[in-house]
Amino acid sequence: MRQALLLTVMYLRAYVRDRTAMFFSLVVPLMLMLIFGSLNLGAFGKVSLALDDQADNAASQQFASALEKVGTLDVKREPADTALTKLRRTELDMLLVIPRDFAIAPTRAGQPVPTATMYGNAARPQQVSVGEAIVNELITQLSFAVNQSAPVVKIEQKDVEGVRLRYVDFLVPGILGVNVMQLAIFSVAFALVVDKRRGVLRRLMATPLKPATFLAAQVVTRLVLAALQVLVLIGVAVFLFDVHPVGGILPLLVVALLGAVLFLTIGFALAGWAETENQVPAIAQLITLPQFFFSGVFFSKDAAPEVIRPITNALPLTFLNDALREISVQGATIWDVRMQLLGLLVWTVVGFLLAVRFFRFDRF
Amino acid sequence: MSAIVSVRDLRKRYGEIDAVKGISFEVTEGEIFGLLGPNGAGKTTTVEILEGLRRADGGEAFVDGIDVSKEPAKAKERVGVQLQQSAFPENFTAKETVELFALCYGVKVDALALLEDVDLADKANQRQEKLSGGQRQRLSIATALVNRPRVLFLDEPTTGLDPQARRNLWELVRKIRGDGTTVFLTTHYMDEAEVLCDRVAVMDHGKIISMDPPQKLITALLDRGFSKPVIQQQANLEDVFLDLTGHELRED
Repeated sequence: MRQALLLTVMYLRAYVRDRTAMFFSLVVPLMLMLIFGSLNLGAFGKVSLALDDQADNAASQQFASALEKVGTLDVKREPADTALTKLRRTELDMLLVIPRDFAIAPTRAGQPVPTATMYGNAARPQQVSVGEAIVNELITQLSFAVNQSAPVVKIEQKDVEGVRLRYVDFLVPGILGVNVMQLAIFSVAFALVVDKRRGVLRRLMATPLKPATFLAAQVVTRLVLAALQVLVLIGVAVFLFDVHPVGGILPLLVVALLGAVLFLTIGFALAGWAETENQVPAIAQLITLPQFFFSGVFFSKDAAPEVIRPITNALPLTFLNDALREISVQGATIWDVRMQLLGLLVWTVVGFLLAVRFFRFDRF
Repeated sequence: MSAIVSVRDLRKRYGEIDAVKGISFEVTEGEIFGLLGPNGAGKTTTVEILEGLRRADGGEAFVDGIDVSKEPAKAKERVGVQLQQSAFPENFTAKETVELFALCYGVKVDALALLEDVDLADKANQRQEKLSGGQRQRLSIATALVNRPRVLFLDEPTTGLDPQARRNLWELVRKIRGDGTTVFLTTHYMDEAEVLCDRVAVMDHGKIISMDPPQKLITALLDRGFSKPVIQQQANLEDVFLDLTGHELRED
């Protein structure tokens, strides 16, 4: 036990010295989080609206300034022809042309009214329909004002405060999961295959050191690194992106480490199987890449085609990400995510059996 | 003097190949014993069985009275090992490498003193992967001495070293023997065996074909009427090389 701990300390000290390894285990995940966190994918965002005010009179200016006050709209003054070009390039969502004869005046039924033209970007239907609704609502309000009539029905708006889910709130648990996977599989597989091929493991096995002690030290070394990585990532998420893990940091850490144990078993199996370090990235990518895309890291796991969803829902990283996300976003407890943990456990047993089958000290 | 290593009818097969075909020999306590032979003769297999790294298919092997096939872990505690490819974990300094091995044996050592013994004290804080070939071999010997072994196994310790580094390593081996450790080495350099070993066993095709002190083997060969074409040459190219470049150890 003491021997395993001292070995762990020695290996950790050596690992920290390895700049490349440190880069991959800390800087890369941080970069991923910074890039994707600032992209803010999946957010609805604002509706960008170009406004060509051809009337430029008191009425049109009143209408335009009312539009500009709407927070959801991002209003730019733009001549119609350049705005149409931008629309075709999907740099804009909508274009509203206010005609020369624009006026806000009392009307009688059947009397012709000025016609404003609205162009919508067909590629962004959601944004266009929201923009249309806002413009129509404004016109209705103006109409009520000048016609001195009150609406027949008044709607009182009440918001239901759900969990305010921004993209970065969704992203952070996914980033945690995927990095635990990468660290556990790659660091073990690379380091041990190199040590195996260069004869380091054989030399260690010529001492009375027990394989179990050596393996325990390797596992604990990686778990310490994984814990550090998770804490740094959560720290950046909290302080830079204002993410609040609702269920608490400790349950997140515990689940992440359970995931790390699972992926370590796969790393050991791979290290045992591979003859040279060149084989490691190929197989490791084969294992990790599908999970990268189908296990709900950067977007929902439901983005996977329906036919393969039974498979993608049973991937190790899917269980890990679901558990992390429920804790982080919905405030679930460890007990609430027991089904996901059960999934992790089943995979850990599978990985352990593979590791025992392939990682054999007597062959080194 | 008693036998500290004793091997009887040792056999090892790899699939179709008989690597070791029933060899027997004894190593006396305190001697430098050399196992000679061309590549593929079975030297390394024999040594690795004695080190507890491989299981023999037949026969017996005892090291310091311990049956290595029955108690490999106990045997490992009594021997020091330098494998043919000496490699250590990366990003460890020389001193940390020695401490790592001390930890593997569960013993406490003065790592600096051990490095001093192999003339590496000034490299203590340098990463082991940055050491030169000769330095790494000496570090390898330092790691093999952490448990104060009864027998030190050196598998081709001077392969790949320059003439200065080889001579330096011979000195080190003599010093270790002088401290009371039995040394068991394999080599395919005959000059090395001739100047270093008290006794040698010549191995070929998995069998020991001759065993005696080097001088006795040479005398026996001459007695059988062997004669080399005599060339009156009092020096060879290695002497020239050493004269030109000096005996001092080169470290890059």
